Amino acid sequence: MSIAVFLESYNNKMVKAAAEAINAAKIIAEKTGKEMFGIALDENIDEILSQAGNYGISRVKGSSHITLYHSSMYARFIANAAREADIVIFPGTVWGREIAPQVTIKLDANPVSDIIGIEEGNVFRRSLHGNKIHSTVKADGKLVITVRPAVFDLPAETGGSAESEPITPETMDSDTLSKLAEILAASSDKVELTEADIIVSGGRGVGGPDNWPLIINLAEVLGAAHGASRAVVDAGWRPHSEQVGQTGKFVSPKVYIAVGISGAIQHLAGMSTSEIIVAVNKDEGAPIFKVADYGLVGDLFDVVPKLTEEISRLKQN
Amino acid sequence: MNIVVLLKIVPDTETRFQINNEGTDVVWDDTIEWVLGPYDEYAIEEAIRIKEAHGGKVISVTIGRGKEEKSIRKAMAMGVDEGVLIENDELVTSDPTSIAKALAETVKSLNPDIILTGRMATDSSDSFVGPAVAELLNFPVVTEISSLEIADGVATAIRDASGRKEKFELKLPAVFTADKGLNEPRYPKLPMIMKAKQKPLDKKGDAGTPIIKNVNQLKVEFPAKKEAGSKITGTVDEMVNQLVDGLANKEKVL
Repeated sequence: MSIAVFLESYNNKMVKAAAEAINAAKIIAEKTGKEMFGIALDENIDEILSQAGNYGISRVKGSSHITLYHSSMYARFIANAAREADIVIFPGTVWGREIAPQVTIKLDANPVSDIIGIEEGNVFRRSLHGNKIHSTVKADGKLVITVRPAVFDLPAETGGSAESEPITPETMDSDTLSKLAEILAASSDKVELTEADIIVSGGRGVGGPDNWPLIINLAEVLGAAHGASRAVVDAGWRPHSEQVGQTGKFVSPKVYIAVGISGAIQHLAGMSTSEIIVAVNKDEGAPIFKVADYGLVGDLFDVVPKLTEEISRLKQN
Repeated sequence: MNIVVLLKIVPDTETRFQINNEGTDVVWDDTIEWVLGPYDEYAIEEAIRIKEAHGGKVISVTIGRGKEEKSIRKAMAMGVDEGVLIENDELVTSDPTSIAKALAETVKSLNPDIILTGRMATDSSDSFVGPAVAELLNFPVVTEISSLEIADGVATAIRDASGRKEKFELKLPAVFTADKGLNEPRYPKLPMIMKAKQKPLDKKGDAGTPIIKNVNQLKVEFPAKKEAGSKITGTVDEMVNQLVDGLANKEKVL
């Protein structure tokens, strides 16, 4: 039996979370001796093949016929392509989370969602209750797994190539399709929060939406994504899509910079697995300092512009 | 229009969990407060708004363990008209596929035009049930929506996905999962709270669907606690220099 990985792509490029899913598949393959293969749907399938090959995938079942995203059409295609596998792995992106449950039902498989670790070929770590509890589960039978983004490293680049096994998708009754009508605001330069290596987040201490350029400028010089605390989102200063925390996004970047964030438990739940945490807060007793590797006790309105300037200078040299 | 909301009742997000002596599970004692799933509240509000605009009724469906009625009455005080509650300890702890099958079977008999639920449950964070129920009923689905409009049997839904906004068009009946920002859930008013006590809640022992447990928890742990580093104090220049030096030379992330 084998391991199938959905190689999610957008604009002819494999998404980072899919590369991380390949790495998760490799770890399972090493523990079980199973063979692995990719499944791809992209207009420019050759581009995806070369990226997958470079990450050590030698076989890809794919199609360039589906040019528009419909989750139910993707689900049918992937389920058919994955029938030979006993483990099917998805990146835990919005698309992955939408398709994986449909594939699970089609294959009569068992779901293991949002994994953060692999102990054995069928023993996985998950996080429960908003990262407050880690759970180890053993899963029997055919499995469909989603992998939490930004947890697994990118796979080593092998310089290899992948062979294509073209599959023609079945047509479907249009009544059961959710048609992707339009991409509004397709901002390719914006870094997605859950996939970012560096995140700069602002809290109530930033004072108001008019001061947000402070956060955005620092994020820009770092090539980082920017986020916000729940208090800020609830106050309407920033959109909910930027919220980090238990009722927002779970992030674990290499560097998380918390600016004017006190560190409520539900915020910590969303970001405390970050590798390096930097906090800027004038309140020395703020709980964020309990998890911060670099805790700057000072006024953010002085510290952040200076930090932005210094990093910008460093990047230019 | 029949609008069904799938509600999971979960531990309050402020709960501080204890782990049992064997390390096999958290302690499920009476200190845990059970509430409507935070994302399910957006689904409830959206269902009520659709009913107010287009007519019809809102029916909730919940699988539970005997802790759920208070939260379902709260949903009824917001405007849900009727509820179905399947109380079954074995089902509630079974695999997500069994939960989805029980929900789909129950929902089918309610003849739904729209099914709404939260984008994930804050306890198990599976994000499984919405799309799985859609698959079982052969309905189209759009997850994690931040906007929904209904006109002439066609829905237009918008969501944030990986840094872009995606707009979908689909025919009803359909399934949607709600993200934060879809709406502002209302607070129940006193007359509605009184009225909610009288609303019909159909309690059942099971849904007549198979109960399977192939995914079993071996152990639970608290995540490794992060050791705090030292606080940096001094003038603004000193603090910033120390931080930039640390990030650039020690951590090598710049």
